Amino acid sequence: MRLELWWSEVAAVSAGTETRLSDRRLAVGLDGLTATLAADPRLDRVRIDLAHPGESCRIGRVFDVFAPRAKEEGGADFPGALGPLGRAGQGRTRALAGVAVVVTDQQLADPATLAVIDMSGPVATLSAFARTANVVISAWPAASVGRSEYLAALRQAGLRAAVHLAQAARAAPPDTLEVFDLPAPTRVPAALAGVPRVVYVFQIHSHQRPTAADEGVLYGDPVRRMLPTLVHPNEILDGAVIRGFMGRGVTTWATQNHPVIRELYARHGRTLWFAGVVLTVAHATEPERIRSAAMAAGLVVDVLGADGAVFTKIGGGAPHVDMAQTAAQCEARGVKTALIVEDMSTDGSQEGMLLFNFPGLDALVNTGSAQERVTLPPVERVIGAEGPAGEATVSYGQICGAIEQVGATCLTSRLQ
Amino acid sequence: MSALRVVVYLNQFFGQIGGEERAGVGPRAFPGPAGAARAVQQALGDAGRVVATVVSGDNHVAEAPEAAVAAILALVAAEQPDLVVAGPAFLAGRYGVACGAVCEAVESRLGVPAVTGMHAENPGVALYRRRAHIVATGADGARMLDEARRLVALGLKRARREPVGSPAEEGYFPRGVTRNTRASANAAQRATAMLLDKLAGRPVTSEVPLPDFPRVAAPPAVRDLGHAVVALVTDGGIVPVGNPDGLEPLAATRFGAYPIGGRGALDPGQYDNVHRGYDTTFVKQDPHRLVPVDVARELEREGAIGKLHETVYSTTGVATTLANSERMGREIAAQLRAARVDAVILTST
Amino acid sequence: MTPVAVMVGANRIVQAAGIIHPLGNADLPPEEEKALRRRIVERALAALRTEVVQPTVFGAGADH
Repeated sequence: MRLELWWSEVAAVSAGTETRLSDRRLAVGLDGLTATLAADPRLDRVRIDLAHPGESCRIGRVFDVFAPRAKEEGGADFPGALGPLGRAGQGRTRALAGVAVVVTDQQLADPATLAVIDMSGPVATLSAFARTANVVISAWPAASVGRSEYLAALRQAGLRAAVHLAQAARAAPPDTLEVFDLPAPTRVPAALAGVPRVVYVFQIHSHQRPTAADEGVLYGDPVRRMLPTLVHPNEILDGAVIRGFMGRGVTTWATQNHPVIRELYARHGRTLWFAGVVLTVAHATEPERIRSAAMAAGLVVDVLGADGAVFTKIGGGAPHVDMAQTAAQCEARGVKTALIVEDMSTDGSQEGMLLFNFPGLDALVNTGSAQERVTLPPVERVIGAEGPAGEATVSYGQICGAIEQVGATCLTSRLQ
Repeated sequence: MSALRVVVYLNQFFGQIGGEERAGVGPRAFPGPAGAARAVQQALGDAGRVVATVVSGDNHVAEAPEAAVAAILALVAAEQPDLVVAGPAFLAGRYGVACGAVCEAVESRLGVPAVTGMHAENPGVALYRRRAHIVATGADGARMLDEARRLVALGLKRARREPVGSPAEEGYFPRGVTRNTRASANAAQRATAMLLDKLAGRPVTSEVPLPDFPRVAAPPAVRDLGHAVVALVTDGGIVPVGNPDGLEPLAATRFGAYPIGGRGALDPGQYDNVHRGYDTTFVKQDPHRLVPVDVARELEREGAIGKLHETVYSTTGVATTLANSERMGREIAAQLRAARVDAVILTST
Repeated sequence: MTPVAVMVGANRIVQAAGIIHPLGNADLPPEEEKALRRRIVERALAALRTEVVQPTVFGAGADH
């Protein structure tokens, strides 16, 4: 399956009468886009702000971040979630580099659990979103709209805006072109038979918080009792998976720009053969966890014939166990594993870092401690929230884009 | 940069008071660098001035550590130091333990950075490496000046509030604490590289060491449940409406003890749930899904258990530190013991 | 979460019915749910009556 990403670079974003990209400057027709998004009956009022890298600006109440993408050929935008159902991952997709759609949550009474983005200052280097021009959408719920209805509406707004912006790129040739072309895992040329076959096991949701009926994750499906399944990596790069409502250390942006998939593609055909992607969910009951671990390991070992596998998880602490059980079964069958975990310690102690202890799981990478605190300086401007313009002490987990559980970030917890 | 005020702590031998026969001497302070503190002053150069040397006998500290450390602390505090250097203690066990205790007290009670040094096999390392910065040294003073330099280098960084490097870089024993830093590649790149190394049989250094929890001896089985008192405990965050004890929704430091007063069932209208780590809808609808009082009463009536203990214990098991978990477990156990409870059913979410 | 319990050294571990309702199941009618709860608690009593020397999981068997 072959996917082409046609990238257009954006150096600056500004407000304009209509959305247009020319000479690396993206003008956003704010009135038009606002009206389009506000037409959703679940929303009462929509406001769009722009935030630029280097500004003394804090974006508060962040719900999720979306990467601008628009299909030009070969399928619908975010099939099943926004566009009509079909497969993602082939044909041609337009993408904007240097721009992100940030959606804020204006319903939750206490913003303490929501994330922030600082466009400058000491933590700006940690987050990709301090380096993108951000189109920040704040939308208020219509009267008597419940929580999951509102969050579903927010996601729709984010996806619509992401498509709208990327469509501006279609007017001109792209700046760069990326080709993702991977044959089925059975079609390995003889010359590459000796290279290790590597699979990525992608945990896409954790049912510690069961999905709502309108909380689509995979092609719009809420993956409620999802058994392990296989997808082609292009499907993930082309919008088949979006993040659920719980945003702990994951953005849809990072999923769209999936770093493990991109890294395995970069090495494919040279130091490894990218043999496929297994999708799993983390379960809330032990029998489901055991079944899923056995089936996922089965897909890795017996169906895809992997020599090694990279694992990521989503959600909080318990999903580490789902991931570890699957990986332990792979190791028991001779398949080597590397896992990306979080430092779960709440007191900075070594013992508290990990929630599992399976022998053989000796190749662990960590995405840092979400609990560790850091102080943010005062800023001149706040978007998406009332205050906090002053100094604020937050946890690293509250800085949107500082910790991405799919492995997009450089923060790591080091033992001292 | 003005010279830092440094106090050095030494035992009776390195303080040049005497040998083993003077190990009982109590703490005293000498102005400037006395005895082996001169090596520290030499290592400091212009960066610092040893304003006093505090000396105490090894036995004096070993026999009554709390009183001795308090007295040493008073002498140290009087000098208003920016940094305290203790030892190095090499392989001398009592001395190493004393150095560790002094460093920990100086940091926690005076808020002053402290460093010490000793050999890896000194018992002070196992006892204090997590609570003090201990630089690795040789077995004796053969390379005293070199080792004083390493001690001083680490001490100066800490005194100046500069970031301290990894144990390997600075030469101290790993303290078992973690800190966020920036790697040069993202986690996906690091994981892929680590996997390829593992596949090729190359050595791999995991970014997280596997935990090693001590074994807990299993208590003997309950012989006669029909005469046993059984208590219900949970970490699922159940609280009476209004959360009177202020049970925290995350990182709990306390637990609640809630009487059920002979009742056969829990009334959902009287209970709430503060736990932030799972969807509490179902256990709020019916608290028995977390604390099985209804079934336990039946079993009590039928004689399957002797008695259901009339107090339910509850805390919140999300982001709880290991230290607080252990403490709360001990405290709850003590209360249950005092109430002659024989067994516990703990429901965990 | 039984593997966590094993890891930290709990000696008698009974598998319950899930994180969000360890001793229940909202999909079942009330009498069946209570019967499920009773089965799990009885398994806990059986564990209390059993001598163990190390972390032991008393499994769910045919409950699910």
